[in-house]
Amino acid sequence: MRAVRLILSVVILLCWAQPGGARTPWMENPEKIALGTGLDCLYHGDDTSSTTIVQIFVPGGRGAVPQDRDGLAYLATHMSLEIPDEGKARDLMAQATRMRLSVWEDCSIIHIECLSENLEAALRVASAIVQDPLLTGIRIDRAKTMMSLRGRAERDDAVASARNAVLRAFYGDHGYGTTAYGTDDSLKAIDRRDVLSFHRRHFTRPGVFFSVGTDLDKETVRALLEKHFAKFPAGEPVASPPALPTVPDDRDVVLIKDARQTYIGRAFVLPAPGPEVYAKALLLEIVLGRGPGSRLWDLRAAGKLAYNVDARTVWTKSSGILETYLETENIKSVSASAALEDVLAVLYDQGVGEDEFESAKIMAGAHFLRSIETKPARTMIIGLFEVLGLGHGYLSGIFEAIKAVTLTEMNAFIRDALGPGKALRVSIGPGDPDGPGME
Amino acid sequence: MRRIRSKLVLFSMFLFIFSLLPAWPAGEEGRSRSFRLENGLRVALHEKRSLPLLNVVIAFDVGSKNETEATAGLVHLLEHCILFRGTETRSGREVSRDLRRHGAYFNAHTGHDLSVFVLSLPSEFSDFALQNQRDLLFGFSVTQEELDQEKAVVLEELNQMEDDPQRLATDLVLRRLFPDHPYGRSIHGRREVISEATVGQLLRFYRTYFVPENAALAMVGDFRAEDMERMVREVFGPLPSSGLETAPLPMAPPLKKIVFHREEMDIEEGCLVIGFVGPDFNHPDQYTMDILVEMLGRGVHPLLPAALRSRRNIVQTMNMAYFANRFGGAVIISMRVDPKTLGLARNEALRYLRTLHQESFSKTDFAGDAALFAFDFLESAKNQIRFAVGQSEESGLALAGSLARFMLLNDREDPGRYLDRIQGIRSSDIRQAAMRYFSRGESAAVAVAPKGVRVR
Repeated sequence: MRAVRLILSVVILLCWAQPGGARTPWMENPEKIALGTGLDCLYHGDDTSSTTIVQIFVPGGRGAVPQDRDGLAYLATHMSLEIPDEGKARDLMAQATRMRLSVWEDCSIIHIECLSENLEAALRVASAIVQDPLLTGIRIDRAKTMMSLRGRAERDDAVASARNAVLRAFYGDHGYGTTAYGTDDSLKAIDRRDVLSFHRRHFTRPGVFFSVGTDLDKETVRALLEKHFAKFPAGEPVASPPALPTVPDDRDVVLIKDARQTYIGRAFVLPAPGPEVYAKALLLEIVLGRGPGSRLWDLRAAGKLAYNVDARTVWTKSSGILETYLETENIKSVSASAALEDVLAVLYDQGVGEDEFESAKIMAGAHFLRSIETKPARTMIIGLFEVLGLGHGYLSGIFEAIKAVTLTEMNAFIRDALGPGKALRVSIGPGDPDGPGME
Repeated sequence: MRRIRSKLVLFSMFLFIFSLLPAWPAGEEGRSRSFRLENGLRVALHEKRSLPLLNVVIAFDVGSKNETEATAGLVHLLEHCILFRGTETRSGREVSRDLRRHGAYFNAHTGHDLSVFVLSLPSEFSDFALQNQRDLLFGFSVTQEELDQEKAVVLEELNQMEDDPQRLATDLVLRRLFPDHPYGRSIHGRREVISEATVGQLLRFYRTYFVPENAALAMVGDFRAEDMERMVREVFGPLPSSGLETAPLPMAPPLKKIVFHREEMDIEEGCLVIGFVGPDFNHPDQYTMDILVEMLGRGVHPLLPAALRSRRNIVQTMNMAYFANRFGGAVIISMRVDPKTLGLARNEALRYLRTLHQESFSKTDFAGDAALFAFDFLESAKNQIRFAVGQSEESGLALAGSLARFMLLNDREDPGRYLDRIQGIRSSDIRQAAMRYFSRGESAAVAVAPKGVRVR
């Protein structure tokens, strides 16, 4: 009985997490607020915890990086987060405020996460750093060194390396084809003027917007953002036309790596993201490679070819890039490559049946729900939907979009996407010249 | 992200949030409840209505701690087979089909102490969720052919782990940290044991440990606790108990030497993992260690990487984690560093930690005006933990995992409120813990370097 009493006491302690009348975030679309400063804010209320997530979306991202300046978007955004003195760092630390960044194809994001009670103090420090960064040569050089080492760590990961190689193959020298951390040569080529120029072009009023997930009310958030982020300069809207991917003549990407496993992948171009296309692409990912029962799962469960199988889409404003892959023991790489080809060919030829399609729809909805459960993830998805042109309302609109896809439309989408001759073949492993995917 | 990564992230989230659970103050009793069925199954239910999801976690008190050299890897293999190879009434393929029809995410992990099975699906399918978990976990069946197929998958997972420098180094550190204890065996097991495993061996483990009195069921999600209790009693109540009685393991002894091991891989960046034996799950020092880990290796401006950067600028990224297992904890420091300075980074980290007990962490350590200008690392760490508690409230699956682990691992009569315990930690407690766990430098370190690079 002691154990039961103890468990009961712990469970009772849980109860406060759900105050009466709590909001149900998944049912409520985020609201777009026009701030008095000329910036927009996507506000999403969520009482689940007493934390606040503020994400600053900066236009540009990797897609805006000029030729031979790979890494510039990351570097410029990083400099906006470089804490200029120990005192400010300790202010953030004392409040338990966290700041980090991520760089995407069409934007960079500055993430500020704090206890809601500390939001004002957090924004006071963060806004000073973000709006008035100290762009000195010494600091830039230090950041480049850090990026160079992170780039090395990224190249040690087969999945990340494959993704970078695929984007390079489809987008060539356009910024979408660059890596976030750049290369040794590109980092050498970037100077302070490049960083300043990128910063002045993109950290301006027409393009920057906020995405906020919080238990605080809308007016409190509005007042704080208006008070602390009034210094973003006016500028011209960034109008870099998104690049379209092209399937290269040489469709084989081979990277040599001495490892126990070989990465075997295929990548395809998808159309530009719209409400229907996004939903269909999610359904295709589910059918192909998400979890037990997916098409690739058979290569693992029955084929004994892999532990890891997956299918993912990278989105840009212009298109999606679908990657599907498995990682297999080197001696199985040839048969794994052939098996992957077979799976794709069968799906292309026969499409999905009614049962599988209905299951995929349920899976897709549930998968999306799980992906928006926490505030940081949900806040970012809302912002990314806005950047991709889907709009923040797609947070709930996606469920309708999934439901609306018909079996005929889905199979037509599959035939368009997975057509013969459209696949990029990727292999990362020890490099047998007669090896995987090169048949 | 890769499947394996999500599994590991989930695992570490369980460990972290688990220790945070008792932080939460009392509220409305109707939203949560716990009870124990007559067959011994412990149950905890908690309503979380923010999303229409149901999260179900069933944990069993069996892990690599229950293996021997001759059976190392069988618990992990069994976990795989239970997940993917079906039951007495459904094949693995049929189970997969059923899970997809209900939009379910399904996964599991094996640890030193526990095997944990997680399920998350739309809450409208709660009846399916309970029936499915009962069938999978208490009605397991496998053929030799199915077992042979799953062995190949497990061996691929082992290959993948050995291709990842950080995971490989962490595995090697844990093995060296507990040399004379069952925790010193890799959770992944031995290749030869996995390759030669038989259905009979697996079923022996299964029949011994996968019984209601050795398990805990936690559910968090969009349901009424009263209704869910009725359903749980209907579905799991008829399961028979087996009368299992297990003897506790001895506590893991402290490491009595300094170990340094080096590996080479085809990588560009160096990886260094250092481990110290830490307090176990029920030890009063666990709260102090949580604060120490926050101060040293997490948050905005952690002390350890700052110290290493200020002296030699030798560390690029650093993570720190504290794993509070039942029979002994582990404090793990992971760094990515310039390969040429792997040895130096380890020496500098140990040097800093050896003298940590002489440091000041709080304004209370200073007198007069000095206190005004001193930074309060202790208060900062406490705030960071409050933030982590806040974030942990957002994930239903993590909450359910925490509850299940708590039910099986906790031995304390009155664990108290976690945040109260954290709030009560003083600077002197930190110094004493630093002296106890770090000052002798007794640790296990593994450096993974690119091929051909000389480690200083």
